[in-house]
Amino acid sequence: MIGLGLAGALLLAGAVWAGPAQAQPADACAACHLETGDERLAAPARTFDGDIHKAKGFGCVDCHGGDSRQTGMEAMDPRKGFIGKPSHQQVIQVCGRCHSDAGFMKRYNPSLRVDQVAEFATSVHGRRLRELGDPKVATCASCHPAHGIRPRSDPKSSVHPLHVADTCGGCHADAKYMAGYKIPTDQLEKYKTSIHWAAMTTKGDLSAPTCNGCHGNHGAVPPGVGWVGNVCGQCHTVQADLFKSSVHVKAFTDLGTPGCATCHENHAIHAPGDFMLGLGDKAVCTNCHGPDDKGGKSAVEMRALIDSLRVESDKAGALLQRAERAGMEVSQAEFDLNGARDDLIKARAAVHSFRIDAVKQAVDSGLAVSAKAHGRGIRALGELGFRRKGLAVSLVVIVALIVGLVLKIRQVERRAAVRSRAGEAPHD
Amino acid sequence: MTEHVLEPDENRRGFINWLLGTSAVAFALSVFYPVASYLVPPTVGESTAGTVTLPIKPDDVKPNTGEIFKFGSRPGILIRTAGGDLRAFSAVCTHLNCTVQYRSDLSQIWCACHNGHYDLNGKNVAGPPPRPLDTFVVNVRGTQIVVSKSA
Repeated sequence: MIGLGLAGALLLAGAVWAGPAQAQPADACAACHLETGDERLAAPARTFDGDIHKAKGFGCVDCHGGDSRQTGMEAMDPRKGFIGKPSHQQVIQVCGRCHSDAGFMKRYNPSLRVDQVAEFATSVHGRRLRELGDPKVATCASCHPAHGIRPRSDPKSSVHPLHVADTCGGCHADAKYMAGYKIPTDQLEKYKTSIHWAAMTTKGDLSAPTCNGCHGNHGAVPPGVGWVGNVCGQCHTVQADLFKSSVHVKAFTDLGTPGCATCHENHAIHAPGDFMLGLGDKAVCTNCHGPDDKGGKSAVEMRALIDSLRVESDKAGALLQRAERAGMEVSQAEFDLNGARDDLIKARAAVHSFRIDAVKQAVDSGLAVSAKAHGRGIRALGELGFRRKGLAVSLVVIVALIVGLVLKIRQVERRAAVRSRAGEAPHD
Repeated sequence: MTEHVLEPDENRRGFINWLLGTSAVAFALSVFYPVASYLVPPTVGESTAGTVTLPIKPDDVKPNTGEIFKFGSRPGILIRTAGGDLRAFSAVCTHLNCTVQYRSDLSQIWCACHNGHYDLNGKNVAGPPPRPLDTFVVNVRGTQIVVSKSA
């Protein structure tokens, strides 16, 4: 019935557009589809107005085949290559026909990658589609909605950095849809509690990782246990390099746990802090170590080193701030104290080597800077105290002078009064 | 009882005493007010200093080198590009506030803490820094380099 209705509508639309081929619009498909009154047929034509392909001059037939110069059912003749709505498998071929052709794509965007189809073949989605014919896996149009494809830089795009998580979550956060795949569906919820999501949404840092930053986009797979460090190391290079040469590489490999994610989680990656180190309540080291083993003792020692530098640099900073508020010039000391804060950050990064000597090296350097700054703060406050005492002494002198003057004046007045009374006595 | 009549001298003395007393109060206020003001430390807000004259001469900064300078209590970095331009930026890394430095081998600004890289326009190009360095305006006045915060 639907087919007959569609055919009828298209014929009707064709009658409306009857006339010389050269007088018809370049893409008659949209005109007919908009006239059908059937929202399922009209919506794609309407949505296509905002599609980048339309902006570049492509039309319906470039993906669906057929002949847009014809009206009615003749436009949708399979002999003219009309395929209708591409099947799940066909979508890859339809998109790849242009997007895998480097020579063709150069004409529109010379820097655009042309390996999406090859990448897709390596993805879990691609493998399941190829090997199992799984109709539920994502293909091109699942993430780049057909007829409404926008460039990644467009804030309305489904693959704009701010929307990628929700696009992936459209399937992966849907427990009903994902039933049967035996994978969690809380990734999106967890990711939205992470420091990466916060960096993107509150700080506006669109380079912060979203799903594709760690999983790949067209070749999306879960990072392997052995290469999680490489993935995080794309940005966190210092920590990744230190970790690679640490004792934990072998330990984690033997345990079958992923490098960075063992301590920092995978999707719910929260802001790290000193609390993670050592054997305290929130310390991640306690997942494997106790107070009696070598690792636990090392963790406690590294934590103590870092705490000592944090406390000393904070103390020196507070002292300098007090001096500054009291009007003393300590900007050079405050400037130099930045070095201790740098060392504190380097010491925290050095923890990823899990070597006490590496942490101690940074901490010792920072402690020396802090001690120097603290000494300058003490001297500044000492000078302030000296100035205040000097002021107090001068005040005492001034007050004494005033009191003395007052007393002297009274004495002079008393004498004058006595003399005056003595002079007036004979007249009484 | 004899009625006391004020003599002209007593009127004058009263007036002079009143004048002296008032002057003494004014004098005391003028002494103690600044003293009290001095003893109570003023609240110092964020520095609004927007310009600094560097203790570096233009000729001392060779092409493809950089110098850290003090801008208030925070560091800045002055760079002379290989092409001879002088540029200045905040030397505070936008990731975790470490002090950045110039890497002549890379012709880039680099943060040692987490291996962040910035190009010679201060733009973050690699590593974890989330945004570019703040840019300063550089003016050369004779043998002086004056750096100002952007308007």
